[in-house]
Amino acid sequence: MRRWSTVLIILTLAVLASVWPLAAQDKPRNGGELIFVVPSEPPSYDGHQEETFGVTHPIAPHYNTLLRVDPTDKTGTKPVGDLAESWTVSKDQLTYTFKIRKGVKFHDGSELTSKDIKASYEKILHPPAGVKSLRKEAYGSIASVDAPDPTTFVIKLRYPESSILLNLASPWNFIYKADIIAKDPHWYEKNIMGTGPFKFGEHVKGSHWVGKKNPDYWDKGKPYLDSYRAIFISNSSAQVAAIRGERAMIQFRGFSPPERDQLVQALGPKISVQESPWDCLNFVSMHHEKKPFDDKRVRRALSLALDRYEGSKALSKITLVKDVGGIQVPGTPWATPPAELEKLAGFGHDTAKNRAEAKRLLKEAGVPDGFAFTFKNRGIPHPYEPLGIWLIDQWRQIGLNVKMEMIEASAYHPMLKRGDFEVAMDFQCGFIVEPDLDLPRFLSTSDANYGRHKDTLIDDLFSRQGRATDPEERKKLLRQIEKRLLDDEAHVIYTLQWHRIIPHLAKVKGWTITPSHYLNNQLDTVWLSE
Amino acid sequence: MWKYLLKRFLLMIPTLLGVAIVTFTLIRVIPGDVVELRYSGDRGAVSQDIIDKERARIGLNQPLWRQFTSWILGVVRLDFGTSMWTGAPIWEEVRLRFALSMQVAIMATIVSVLLAIPLGVLAALKQDTWIDYAVRLFSIAGLATPSFWLGIVAILVMLIVFKWLPPMVYTPFWVNPWQNLAQLIWPALAVGYRYSAVATRMTRSAMLEVLREDYIRTARAKGLMQKLILSRHALKNAILPVMTVIAIEFAFLIGGLVVTEQVFNLNGLGLLFVQAVAHRDYTLIQALVMLVSGFFIVVNFFMDVVYAYVDPRIRYR
Repeated sequence: MRRWSTVLIILTLAVLASVWPLAAQDKPRNGGELIFVVPSEPPSYDGHQEETFGVTHPIAPHYNTLLRVDPTDKTGTKPVGDLAESWTVSKDQLTYTFKIRKGVKFHDGSELTSKDIKASYEKILHPPAGVKSLRKEAYGSIASVDAPDPTTFVIKLRYPESSILLNLASPWNFIYKADIIAKDPHWYEKNIMGTGPFKFGEHVKGSHWVGKKNPDYWDKGKPYLDSYRAIFISNSSAQVAAIRGERAMIQFRGFSPPERDQLVQALGPKISVQESPWDCLNFVSMHHEKKPFDDKRVRRALSLALDRYEGSKALSKITLVKDVGGIQVPGTPWATPPAELEKLAGFGHDTAKNRAEAKRLLKEAGVPDGFAFTFKNRGIPHPYEPLGIWLIDQWRQIGLNVKMEMIEASAYHPMLKRGDFEVAMDFQCGFIVEPDLDLPRFLSTSDANYGRHKDTLIDDLFSRQGRATDPEERKKLLRQIEKRLLDDEAHVIYTLQWHRIIPHLAKVKGWTITPSHYLNNQLDTVWLSE
Repeated sequence: MWKYLLKRFLLMIPTLLGVAIVTFTLIRVIPGDVVELRYSGDRGAVSQDIIDKERARIGLNQPLWRQFTSWILGVVRLDFGTSMWTGAPIWEEVRLRFALSMQVAIMATIVSVLLAIPLGVLAALKQDTWIDYAVRLFSIAGLATPSFWLGIVAILVMLIVFKWLPPMVYTPFWVNPWQNLAQLIWPALAVGYRYSAVATRMTRSAMLEVLREDYIRTARAKGLMQKLILSRHALKNAILPVMTVIAIEFAFLIGGLVVTEQVFNLNGLGLLFVQAVAHRDYTLIQALVMLVSGFFIVVNFFMDVVYAYVDPRIRYR
């Protein structure tokens, strides 16, 4: 008996000894400088008035937000407290009361109170004259914000809104100091003063941005890094070279599959790769005031022509698209179940049947075989070009003669706004996967509804889903919107979901990919294993 | 001499005014403006109201003549305004990049002169020998090879063979000379080699022409040493067209290294130019064009002065 016990103890110790180094390796290590590449640069420092990742990547580590998206959640859809320690929701779902953390200090040593949060939200909701706020419209449901005491922040809504918590976790809603906003609402455009895990170091325009560890950070023990350095590199070859030459450790936006393969081949075990469906999408807009695209049969035919599943296999090897999805990113809470997705026009697996139906619809609509039109595409290599080539090939297979015209990237958006197209590639990226944030552009009144469709049913369904407090009810409404948008009326044609690929040096730990390249850049959880 | 210089100097003014008018007009012909581009990024869903307000704020809703007048009056006072993209003063944007571009231009010019003058003279002296053929091959290869391609090859060789990459961030020479040179020597070599090719060929042909002149034959006939003939008589006369080429190339390098700067990730004026055009940052584009053309004009003026100094026929004309 004793002999067996001894063997058991030795075995246990052996197992523990083998596991111990792994456990030690997973324990965050303090110190070091994270060097990352940012392919864009901040136009100004004020997150409330910008919408490029060139702002969030280098600047988010200086700030906290009221709520944030859980940095460990791969779907990027779970709100957790940042400056809010906890919150309660009234029974009528119209009042949200947030308990604010105590002991949070700005980088100048002053204490944060709910007054600062109120001032920041007032700046977003009701910007003073001459100050921009890009997300003012996104908070149309908010009736008022209030700070009844230093640790309480209250939001009152005009109507219940199921997405409000996620919307408050917006990575753009940096919390600023009330006194500074009161003195000069433009101050934050050129200066930094937050409560975040890193203090401002320096910004050399066109070159780099440096953040230094905030030793008084309220989340004790964090951040793990001593500093970070964001290097601005716009050229993609130079970005890859920077990581390959280990001059940089990560680029948080994303690389293409060939770039990933190149890095993996060159660096082997020194590199790790994280991948995720990306909350970005290219869809086809068809001008509803131009014939024959005013006819829903023609629009449906264009969608039915696409073999999305084969397209996914081929295109995912060369460019940054992959999953076949509906109006929400696959794998996220409101995504379409595959069985339901297959029922939509052009999403079924029987391509021959789909294309036969497409030809029939074209004939019925009076569109002759060999009908020619121009497809306008944005002059950006990935994924626009390969996607465009794939699309015109698919449409040729139902007897259409499509010419693709590439338009210089900066002239593209004005062209869409002018409506100077018959069929054009359109695009959208979201900062959180949430129907209330992703779908407003398909409303009849939206400035970004470039196809100019008018559909009051979609408008009504959208409004109802946003106010639905029962998740199952909301799902049903979303499926109805999807069916109308992509099938019955085929106002737009969804192509393939973008696919986010982040190859990074294996020593970078504590960072989790999400579907949005705007999220998870506070860097408080990131550490270096060597 | 002074009359000649004054005339040259006064000619600068209409040239710069012409550049200002052409630049101002041409960039506004391109579709899209800075506001649309700034707010039509990945999400592309900013309301028209915000776009209109921003246009009004930066003055894009004013008539073109008014925009031009206020800009040109600023230029006269050496106030180029603020960047429409970042809101920062233009001088601040330019100053940062100017030091780097200037250093690369100077280093590339030194590389070029060190290669071009000896090789060009050598090729002329050894005309139609294997040395001449080798120099011509070297210079033709330089002409045929874009400097950015050479840069890409250099980076790949450093990465694959030496597992090393030049620093990505600019460090001024006086802060850390080693770090500074480790970053800038590679683009200087890539650009300098290409730049030397033109100057080598120019030196060779100018030297060949001069070496056939009567005064060279006379110098040889009176038994003067070859070294003295070359330095005092031949090179001094052959160098004028070479200096012109070197000066014009030098001026070009200040804002023209667009692709090379991207390849080496240099935060210089060329890259700033590309970004300004991509952002439709009118004020920055206008300032950069004025700066580069001003630089060209000043270099040309300087060359005129040098010409007048070196060649008495010009100043007495």
